[in-house]
Amino acid sequence: MNAKTNRVRVTVGDHPTAREIIAALIEQHPVLRFALSAPRLAVNHVFATPDTIVSAGDEVALITLVGGG
Amino acid sequence: MIVVAVIVEGPLTGEGEHSALAGTAAELDALAHSGSVGATLRFEGIVRRNELSAYHGREQALRALHYQSYDPMAQRGLETLAREMGEKHGLLSIIALHSRGNVNVGEVSFVLEIAAPHRAEALAAMADFIDRLKQDVPIWKQPVWAE
Repeated sequence: MNAKTNRVRVTVGDHPTAREIIAALIEQHPVLRFALSAPRLAVNHVFATPDTIVSAGDEVALITLVGGG
Repeated sequence: MIVVAVIVEGPLTGEGEHSALAGTAAELDALAHSGSVGATLRFEGIVRRNELSAYHGREQALRALHYQSYDPMAQRGLETLAREMGEKHGLLSIIALHSRGNVNVGEVSFVLEIAAPHRAEALAAMADFIDRLKQDVPIWKQPVWAE
């Protein structure tokens, strides 16, 4: 399964938390359901907690189940 | 403790490994002759021919695995994990090399080499590292099917 894109746009309020971004992803991009069973976000290349606040200009990445090794 | 953690392009060959270790070759050589190493372990992850296809629900023949990494988080994560495992298990050296891009069936995509004073620490670190790699380092593999 592949999202066939490396970035998506979501609409959120000002200063959203990582938890709110994940909720917006689930709601606005149901095609990503396969990747959202155990979602983790990285903000500026560091794993975020659900309460991490995201600011304008931050790089947010959805880290799905990884499979190196 | 000597720590080497590098993501390299393509399969891990002797030549690629040699160049990844070039900066620390003298230190590794000195450690090997220091008399402090009681155990060394080397793990190689090799791409197998058959992989479970989530789409077909059964094993299918692969041509290769394509590894994708989210950089620079993946490189930093590999390095942080190596350092953390080295400190936790009291290792003398830890070398972690991972491929990015295409790795064909039969080729090596991951190397973990550990030196420790005793076998118990080396064995524990090996299992611990691999479990954590699969949780915390953003590297994904995508099957390239044979047909």
